[in-house]
Amino acid sequence: MNESDLIRDLDKEFGACAQEKRKRRVWVSVELNELIDVCRFCYGKGFRHLSTISATDYPSEGMYELTYFLWSYEDKLLVTVKTTISRDKPVIDSVTSIWGESAQIHERELHELFGVKFEGNKDLTPLFLEEWDGPPPFRRDFNWRDYVREKYYDKENEREKPYYL
Amino acid sequence: MNEKSPTTYELLFGPAHPGSGNFSVKLRVSGEQVVSARSDPGYLHRGFEKLMEYRDRMQNSILSDRVCVLEALNWNLVHAEAVDELTGEEIPDKARYIRVLMAELSRIQSHLIWYGALSMGLGFDTGFKVAFGYRDYLLDIFELVTGGRVYPAGYICPGGVRRDLPDSAKTKIEKTLDKMKIMLRKCENFEKTTLYPRTRGVGVLERQDALRLGATGPIARASGLYSDVRVDDPYEIYSELDFEIPTRDEGDAYARCLLGRLEMRESMRIIRQVLERMPEEKLDPVKPKIAHKIPEGEVYVRNEIARGEAGIYMKSIGEETPYRCKIRGPSLLHMIPVLEHLLAGCQIADVPAIYWSLNICPADMDR
Repeated sequence: MNESDLIRDLDKEFGACAQEKRKRRVWVSVELNELIDVCRFCYGKGFRHLSTISATDYPSEGMYELTYFLWSYEDKLLVTVKTTISRDKPVIDSVTSIWGESAQIHERELHELFGVKFEGNKDLTPLFLEEWDGPPPFRRDFNWRDYVREKYYDKENEREKPYYL
Repeated sequence: MNEKSPTTYELLFGPAHPGSGNFSVKLRVSGEQVVSARSDPGYLHRGFEKLMEYRDRMQNSILSDRVCVLEALNWNLVHAEAVDELTGEEIPDKARYIRVLMAELSRIQSHLIWYGALSMGLGFDTGFKVAFGYRDYLLDIFELVTGGRVYPAGYICPGGVRRDLPDSAKTKIEKTLDKMKIMLRKCENFEKTTLYPRTRGVGVLERQDALRLGATGPIARASGLYSDVRVDDPYEIYSELDFEIPTRDEGDAYARCLLGRLEMRESMRIIRQVLERMPEEKLDPVKPKIAHKIPEGEVYVRNEIARGEAGIYMKSIGEETPYRCKIRGPSLLHMIPVLEHLLAGCQIADVPAIYWSLNICPADMDR
């Protein structure tokens, strides 16, 4: 299977408009309700390796864009599946039923850093942050400089002043 | 065995364990046997993905050193490639050769740390000292070329490399490679009596598990999964070079350790080829671009670094800083699902062998 075969198949099955950005890179945007079907379809086509999952925050448009990077060891192709979810209610179906443990860790990370809830993922315990009480820190509207100033700046301590001015 | 049975107890491996890195595993142990393991990352979380959203490309290339202390140059390269693909800038031929040269030297250096840490974990101090001693010769080269022994401060940067190779570099690298050859022979000689008995048949990762758990790089290749980004998805000048990808079928800790040694040999082969074909012309230094916008777009670049597959997803909306930068490090999957899978059911004495055979780096996991 090469790039154009994959684009044709995705168009035939889902009517999705995939495009080839360069050699070995195919990008496709799908509707939220089709995501699991598209992922399962790709898995069946040999995309056994889930390279990573990423989320991008668009506060002004009120949405998150989730990006799945799938690699096929046989065909040496990378397909990127993109979908959007609402920012107010960031809930999406988990892909752990397809990629198992490797998907589980990536989703766990995104849940912690972006606050996206993955339905069907059994373990979403925080990975990195300990005793964190702020909002998900990787959202665009979270300003870490302000957060640190509010939380840790001891205004009575003169020696700290230069660091927070 | 029941996990909550009153005869089991909890054993902490790290984060204060010598050599474990800033990372810990909580082991549930019954007698001498590990019942289950739970990884506990987060001791080195610095939030690079967020920090990069506040900085321009040159600042980010310096920041990308810190993603993994042990192979800073490889991470430099991943970041530089992501920006280059977005800007579509032409990279001078010689810069491409220097990039590959430094990336391969960095790979050998990183494998030496792997070898040293594994030896130390198994109580084989000589191996540790030999590996770290010879690593210093490579750090000398890094100092000569980039100015920094461990952190190159963004030597491989968007647009090429910061400066040309010094005149003395070629001879120095060739001399160092000869020394490395001697070291590899030394390692081979003492391996049979030291590393072999402690690692043989320990922590076997089956091929289908490697696929399911998302193992990449040497860990996957030691389990018989033939995959290497340099061959499958070539970048820079790798498609023009002649080298082999060693694989093993056993999947145990010894296979992984052996693979590290074989890969160093292949990297040395690549370096010799690169030195031979290196263009003669003088290379102009890349001047830091200030207030230059990155064109709109999004890319995902993958590289083969010493530990496995590294990737950066970069999204730009036409500002100086990237809008989003997602870093994919190989250790995240090696240190959580793979490690937990391999540790369950093993003996306490085998924990170090399994732990260090996975070539871990807490820095690129936490980011």
